[in-house]
Amino acid sequence: MNPVALSLYLHFPFCLSKCSYCNFNSYAGMERLIPDYLGAMEKEILLWKMFAREYSSQSSFHEEFQVETVYFGGGTPSLLQPEQIAYVIERCRAFPFAVAPEITLEANPGTVQEKFFARIRRAGVNRLSLGAQSFNDGCLKLLGRIHSANEAREAFLCARKAGFDNINMDLIYALPGQTMPCWQNTLEEALRLHPEHLSLYSLTLEEGTPLAGWVKAGLLPLPDGDLAADMYLLAEEILDREGYSHYEISNWAVPGKECRHNLAYWKNTSYLGVGAGAHSFLFGHRFAGVSSPQEYVEKLSALERLPPSFLEVGGEKSHLDFVEGADVEREMSDTVIMGLRLQEGIDLASFAGRFQRELLPAYRQEIEELVELGLLDADEKGIRLSGRGKLLGNEVFMRFLPPNSTGSALS
Amino acid sequence: MGQNQIRNFCIIAHIDHGKSTLADRLLEQTGTILKRAMQKQVLDQMELERERGITIKAKAVRMPWLAPDGKVYQLNLIDTPGHVDFTYEVSRSLTAVEGALLVVDASQGIQAQTLANAYAALEHNLYLIPVINKIDLTNARTEEVSREIESVFGFNREEIICISAKEGKGTDKILNAIIRHIPPPAGSKNSPLKALIFDSKYDSYKGVIAFIRVIDGVIKNGENLRLMSNDIIFESLEIGIFSPEMDALTSLQAGEVGYVATGLKNVTDCHVGDTITTVINPAFQPLSGYREAKPMVFAGLYPIESNEYPALRDALDKLKLSDASISYEPESSTALGFGFRCKFLGLLHMDIVQERLEREYGLRLLVTAPNVAYKVIKRDGSTILVDNPAKLPPPQEISEMQEPWLSATIITPDRYIGPVMELLSQYRGRFERLDYLSGNGETEASFSWKQVSVKFTLSMGMLLANFYDQLKSATQGYASLDYTPSGYQTGHLVKLDILVNGQQVDALSRIVPSGIASSEGRILVDKLRALIPRQLFDVAIQAAVGGKVIARETVKALRKNVLAKCYGGDVSRKRKLLEKQAEGKKRLKRIGQVEIPQEAFMAVLKKNNA
Ligand SMILES: Nc1nc2c(ncn2[C@@H]2O[C@H](COP(=O)(O)OP(=O)(O)O)[C@@H](O)[C@H]2O)c(=O)[nH]1
Ligand code: SF4
Repeated sequence: MNPVALSLYLHFPFCLSKCSYCNFNSYAGMERLIPDYLGAMEKEILLWKMFAREYSSQSSFHEEFQVETVYFGGGTPSLLQPEQIAYVIERCRAFPFAVAPEITLEANPGTVQEKFFARIRRAGVNRLSLGAQSFNDGCLKLLGRIHSANEAREAFLCARKAGFDNINMDLIYALPGQTMPCWQNTLEEALRLHPEHLSLYSLTLEEGTPLAGWVKAGLLPLPDGDLAADMYLLAEEILDREGYSHYEISNWAVPGKECRHNLAYWKNTSYLGVGAGAHSFLFGHRFAGVSSPQEYVEKLSALERLPPSFLEVGGEKSHLDFVEGADVEREMSDTVIMGLRLQEGIDLASFAGRFQRELLPAYRQEIEELVELGLLDADEKGIRLSGRGKLLGNEVFMRFLPPNSTGSALS
Repeated sequence: MGQNQIRNFCIIAHIDHGKSTLADRLLEQTGTILKRAMQKQVLDQMELERERGITIKAKAVRMPWLAPDGKVYQLNLIDTPGHVDFTYEVSRSLTAVEGALLVVDASQGIQAQTLANAYAALEHNLYLIPVINKIDLTNARTEEVSREIESVFGFNREEIICISAKEGKGTDKILNAIIRHIPPPAGSKNSPLKALIFDSKYDSYKGVIAFIRVIDGVIKNGENLRLMSNDIIFESLEIGIFSPEMDALTSLQAGEVGYVATGLKNVTDCHVGDTITTVINPAFQPLSGYREAKPMVFAGLYPIESNEYPALRDALDKLKLSDASISYEPESSTALGFGFRCKFLGLLHMDIVQERLEREYGLRLLVTAPNVAYKVIKRDGSTILVDNPAKLPPPQEISEMQEPWLSATIITPDRYIGPVMELLSQYRGRFERLDYLSGNGETEASFSWKQVSVKFTLSMGMLLANFYDQLKSATQGYASLDYTPSGYQTGHLVKLDILVNGQQVDALSRIVPSGIASSEGRILVDKLRALIPRQLFDVAIQAAVGGKVIARETVKALRKNVLAKCYGGDVSRKRKLLEKQAEGKKRLKRIGQVEIPQEAFMAVLKKNNA
């Protein structure tokens, strides 16, 4: 039996303070819960391990997993002690690790010191994702970040010194009031540090966040879509000149340094999310745990095992609050929608191999229309977004939605 | 009771001058309704009427009254609609009575509908009793208002009765005046039956109920009767009076007012103004003055949710049972889907119908810009009536177009003469004359408050372009307006079309005077540019007259719509966001390739472009 690649996502929903734009599942002032939370995660990993063994033996899935990537996300996983991180990585080894797994940790520049980087590297972390967001202190203030531009720079240099040779930087653009020169400056500052990877996100005003509230109240201008498009094009141009490959809509990397963990999402392969509100795609099912860290800890301390019917049932005791059953139509759709985010797009042969169905006949009309609109390029090998299509991805993705899909939220 | 002890009268007043309140007082005072049982303003029965304070349809009530002379009189009060849209109904009610109370608000004085109704009453030879109401108000100008009444209608100061209907002060004088001055009905109970229908309503048990005034003869229960306009024959299922509930009697005779239940299933068979006679011993000639209700305003009614089309049809069918004056036929539009082209008596009537459909039937509606009926004389010499801009023949077939005009009166405090004149020229009205209501002499210089009447003519099409709202805002609500149709006049009219990426949007076409076509076109195009969401390509919005583009705007192609972040593998969230966007798109209407939200049409069709 060939082992199946598995990605592990570990969610740490703790932050020192909440950023103004953030609607991730993260909480400030809950640090006291961390030890119990780590215990619960440890237990969840073991329960899933047992579950996977049992489920494989009782269903058509005969899968032996092998961990290709581990991702510490948040929240702010860099709030953890290096020893705690080492411990969690050890626990993950309940699933066998591939030869050279990618182990990423998200680090907030406002929480780290030089020693920290060296020690987590020793623990096995080999990739860092630094939440720099901007190199303009005004922007950082507006975003409610707990660090300055300088601190971001220093954090990066410390990580380099500690030996990290695969560092990503997150940057946000199209902030209310942000100008083109301001964005260009942030990009140039970032490039001066020569990160291996850059994730550039256009700000989304998420309902309920303070930032969205300020815009709604008219205190801040609404970010302009056309300006955002221009900022994106500027980044594309500069990063191309600097030798980065634009391998996904919002991601650029030095060739060979693409994020393997995120590729698993985009290629729609199996991943297991552990922790409060973490999302998984396993055995054809999508599911997610309860988002409240407190509830997560309570649910897990009461759980002894995950019965094989777990994915269908969820149930009173379950620590999951969202389960979407296996559905080929939806999986096909997800595969196209996620895959089109990648530069390489969808490869017709591998799509056919995976689903025993040809892509082109299944979506002929949609594809023809999108090609005509200049949003999609198609040839005998596959389909991919055109240059313009990257900025209008949703207009493309929308046409590949399954006929009628709704996830079931479990009570 | 002899015919000599009958008094038939109505109350005429400008809206809100206190007609309903006074009617309530009279009902109380005659003991027709006990004060305790008195529901406020009994005569205005429809909820909508009560809210808007307009009596839409005439009602009637009989009040017995023991007068100081020791005799019991039968007083019949017929309530009349107070709005120009219902002029014909008013005139039928006026035919049913011998006298009228002319009520004028002490703070507002004579208003446009006071004049219009009073003149109509005088034309019907009614005896008028002038009443100044609301003298209790601190801003009452009883002195000035009685001057106006004297000067405009030629009454003596002593004839004017000053009251407060709200407080019940002075209203007893009114009953005495009615008996003393309003003549008893003429007519003869020995002649063949002639009963005037002045209103009707539909009752699911008794069929159409005709509200009648017996002019001659006697109408009896169980008798075979005939409608003289269409020769429909029916049996009177029930005869009675309103007191104010329906009270059955065996007969009504010359001079009396009441109702007859016809058993007819359709209000349209039973026209207001028609004459009822008997089958056995019919009258020779019907009463004069009967005509069909004439629609003046036309508009398309569309359901906002296209699946509500059958519900809209059912609702219109039901509405028609109680409102014979509305008519409609199916119509379809590429922009708005399936709907109905409806004919209304006027703008208020249109508003009322729309509101009833929305309120009583829970429908959400989109109403196209209202228009009038145009007379189109074609090159081949034939004349057609066009009540839908979309149906206008191509320009090369038209030799001449005519549009309906109105002769109108505005009454306003004299300090607004300037703004009113300004408005008239803006709306291409033709000024005729200006008069001070309290006389043109300078002797009234001591009055700080003087009203003028401005007479002018105006095309009805211009009236529909929001003239009334503009008048109200130009005069801070003080001016009132009344008008009557004055026939068709040749006009320089063109059809203004709106095109979206070359495709005509039928629902937005309108017929306008050629002089304002380009400004009107520009307004529409500007509005649409702001309302049409950006598409995946540039969208050209054009206004055109006869194929020639007179205004143009472009909605630039959308550049960015993409989700940035991956949300830790939360694919279902991403899918839901996409589904929401896709769902939103499904509700868009398509004009060619261009997707336009319903709201854009609604906003453009909202009546605020003059
Ligand atoms: N102060 C005062 N208000 C009155 C008097 N008569 C009527 N009103 C008020 O004027 C408004 C319009 O009266 P209504 O009878 O509905 O007028 P209609 O539209 O002519 O039927 C209502 O708010 C009444 O309460 C009155 O004698 N004095
Ligand atoms: S650090 Fe990240 S997860 Fe925490 S509040 Fe800020 S944006 Fe949200």
